[in-house]
Amino acid sequence: MLQVDKLSVRYGPVRALDEVSFEARDARITTVLGANGAGKTTLLRTLSGLVRHQAGTASFDGSLLTGRQPEAIARMGVAHVPEGRGVIAELTVDENLRLGTFCRVRRAERRGAIEEIYERFPGLGDRRHRSASSLSGGERQMLVIGRALVSRPRFLLLDEPSLGLAPMITAQMMATLRDLTAEKGLGAILVEQNARSALSVADWAIVLNLGRVVAADEPARLAVDSDLRRHYLGF
Amino acid sequence: MTGAPAHGVAGAPASDGARRLARPLARRLRLPRHPLVRHLVFLVLGAALFYVVTVNVSSYNDYQIGQIAVYAIVLGGLSILTGLNGQFSLGQGAFMIVGAYTLALLQLHAHVGLVGELVLATVIAAAAGVVVGVPAARLSAPYLAGVTLMLALGLPQLSAQYGSVFGGEQGLTTTPPVAPGTISSEQWLSWIQILCALVVLVLLANLVRSRFGRAFKAVRDDEVAAAVSGIHVARTKVLAFAVSAGCAGLGGALLVLSTGVVNIGEFPLALSIALLAAMVLGGAGSLVGVWWGAVALVYMPTWSTSLSQHLSLGTSAAAYLSDAFFGVVLIVAMLVAPSGIQGGLRWIGLRVWKAIADPSLQGPARDRHAGDGSADSDVRAVDVDPDLALRVGAVPPASAQGDVVSPAGDRPGPSSATTTHGHLDLETKERSSP
Amino acid sequence: MGLFVNVLLSGVAQGMVFAAVALGLVLVSRATGIVNFAQGAMGMFTTFIAFSLLTAGLGYWPAFVSALAIGFVLGAVVERTLMRPLRGKPALNPVIVTIGLLVVLEGVAGSIWGGASQGFPAAFSQRGLVVGTTRVAFSQFDVFIVGAVAVLVVAIVALFRWTDLGLRMRAAAFSPEVSQLLGVRVGRLFTLGWALACAAGSLAGLLVAPLSSFSPYYMDLNLVYGFTAAVLGGLLSPAGALVGGLVTGLAIAFVGAYVGSDLQPIAALVLLLLVLMLRPQGLFGTAEVRRV
Repeated sequence: MLQVDKLSVRYGPVRALDEVSFEARDARITTVLGANGAGKTTLLRTLSGLVRHQAGTASFDGSLLTGRQPEAIARMGVAHVPEGRGVIAELTVDENLRLGTFCRVRRAERRGAIEEIYERFPGLGDRRHRSASSLSGGERQMLVIGRALVSRPRFLLLDEPSLGLAPMITAQMMATLRDLTAEKGLGAILVEQNARSALSVADWAIVLNLGRVVAADEPARLAVDSDLRRHYLGF
Repeated sequence: MTGAPAHGVAGAPASDGARRLARPLARRLRLPRHPLVRHLVFLVLGAALFYVVTVNVSSYNDYQIGQIAVYAIVLGGLSILTGLNGQFSLGQGAFMIVGAYTLALLQLHAHVGLVGELVLATVIAAAAGVVVGVPAARLSAPYLAGVTLMLALGLPQLSAQYGSVFGGEQGLTTTPPVAPGTISSEQWLSWIQILCALVVLVLLANLVRSRFGRAFKAVRDDEVAAAVSGIHVARTKVLAFAVSAGCAGLGGALLVLSTGVVNIGEFPLALSIALLAAMVLGGAGSLVGVWWGAVALVYMPTWSTSLSQHLSLGTSAAAYLSDAFFGVVLIVAMLVAPSGIQGGLRWIGLRVWKAIADPSLQGPARDRHAGDGSADSDVRAVDVDPDLALRVGAVPPASAQGDVVSPAGDRPGPSSATTTHGHLDLETKERSSP
Repeated sequence: MGLFVNVLLSGVAQGMVFAAVALGLVLVSRATGIVNFAQGAMGMFTTFIAFSLLTAGLGYWPAFVSALAIGFVLGAVVERTLMRPLRGKPALNPVIVTIGLLVVLEGVAGSIWGGASQGFPAAFSQRGLVVGTTRVAFSQFDVFIVGAVAVLVVAIVALFRWTDLGLRMRAAAFSPEVSQLLGVRVGRLFTLGWALACAAGSLAGLLVAPLSSFSPYYMDLNLVYGFTAAVLGGLLSPAGALVGGLVTGLAIAFVGAYVGSDLQPIAALVLLLLVLMLRPQGLFGTAEVRRV
């Protein structure tokens, strides 16, 4: 379980996160919603160690995340799929996946882990030796999710995976995400601008506005709150 | 200051902080307000000061003061090029050589008098600056550094190639101007050098405040924005190069009048790098700071000679230590104090001024420090940005906090950030929080 | 005809040295985006250390290997102490630091070892080899130069392409942040990159020392030629450094033979400007990558 307790992050005089607190359980998808600039990406980047916090804590299964280097957090099993996907375009598909195996998978098991990903995402297997830059948006999303999964993570942080993807592919991806969390008992924090599709797969929803948590509830209840929807979720 | 006009920045000198200090100071001293007149006043005062000093010291000191003046000229040009216009040159030594050889050749083959020699040295060096500046305008900082470094290494070799014209390894000799009456020739020459330095610096100061100076700055800060507002970016950059090359040429010519000999050994690569270090030491973009740098350039060899004797290294070690010193200056400056001495003084000066509680300085200064507590926002020499311009200096407040390991993608909302730093942007054009 | 062949051969040998310098520049530039202007001076410094070891009685090969090892360590130390604090600051600051480092190293070397040119012994004969009945301008030592640099390039390419470490280094260079998120220790790999680069520079310094006036400034021109070679090759790949080095070496050799040796640096400058104006991404770079 990932716990966030009064986490605050500032850029100069601007408060990107203001005493944010919530819990994200294992085997559950917790979605974080809000308008642009609400602090969603900052939240994930702070959790994965790329951004330093000013106050508060975040911890995973009792171990502190805040104050650790990103490499150490990755080794703990918290896998962050960043905004913009983070495909390393200069490498091949296989090389991208191999890169994901280095930190948590024993050498002997690495090839096996990669082959598992190819089984789950056949499209990747067909293109394994092609440059990652030749993949379409949807395939790239598969690649980075696969790259996160290949490290046998214990928790996923996903930043706007639906960005730039067609609705059908988004739906497929969300379904895959659902299956994964159920199958592997993984917890996930899903940051999304596309609130509707996120709410359809999430078990818990958090809404941020200007760095503050303004709502935390079950998706079904949030979806019927029309004021909330209009003000913060855009639909 | 409160009420500082947003558009009054036009023509501000490279040091806005100093301007903030200078205005109330100027009012108190009742100095003239018009910049040109103010500069002329400083020129006259400076000339008087130098006169008093030079007649009262030995002729060797006169020689050294003259050298300081010469280097001030070269550094002034470099300060404009790098500090104001953001172009990074390691090749000033090459332009000094051009000026030096021009003067020597003129003395040898033509009789145009001292003024003619100096003017032609300046002009021809400036022309060389145009030739280099045209391709240079398209290069970003590391490549420009590489190209100018090659220039500094390669140009001197030309004189070896065409030895018959340039005197080969031994080079050419120069004759200093004849001093009138009973004045010693060192003193006379040093007066000429000082006068040139004061005149050039006043001209440069006026240039900074002119529309050319504003164009230089605009191009440094944001080439695209400058182009959009009608500035011809390439021409501006070439002009800056020409100005700095002309200064270097004049400096080179004046220098070899003192030394009496022109050969490539006088202008090694280490000199070009030392010039850069001296400029950074004094404070890039500061025309007052050039004097600090010039003093360092002239006195470093002396100090390092004593140091090497103290450490009982060989006699040749002195020159090497001197070179190493300037390298250390560059390294330390980048790591610790990018705005140099002048920047440090400005920082101290502003602190002192605020402590004396001048209310007109409180408002905006306080806004500026809102939330970041970093003094660097006041002390801005130049910031370094490889894509657009050379700005060597303090880091923008946000990252000065050291908090943001990598600035995030979420842009802060329409909140305090831009409005707090609103007029700040106009004044110092700094990159505010991400 | 004889002259042409000799110029060609000496151009190849020179070019390999430039390739070694260029390789160091490429390694640092690709990993960290910094142009290391102290590349030549670092090589010079380690070679002077080797010189001291030799005069103290150490054999040539032990001194050679020691110099490479010292270069490796020096590169790591420089990255840790000088470059690391500047990460996150504007990218030109570290470049200026390398320029300062250049003169510091030259100054310190001059203070310690004196400025006068000294002789550096060569491991192999520098007399031209005999091919058929003619003696060509290619000696055993030149063969050694070509061989040593070729081994270096192959080793680097092999490292990058076939090892996990190489993959990590490439990833760290292309996308440091993403690599961090995958658990890659990016900082250590940058240090390794610098260490390898400096070792390459040491090799270049050792190879050039017997051929030139061995003073603290002897690597200045080689740095400049190496820079030209690196830009020519595209500042991206070891192969590019090799090709760039050979092209630059040949160009310099021909200018030197047919025009004048004092014009070589200017010729290199012209070559560099031509590349930057006409094809700024170099021979092997992709157009979108290179903003010059």
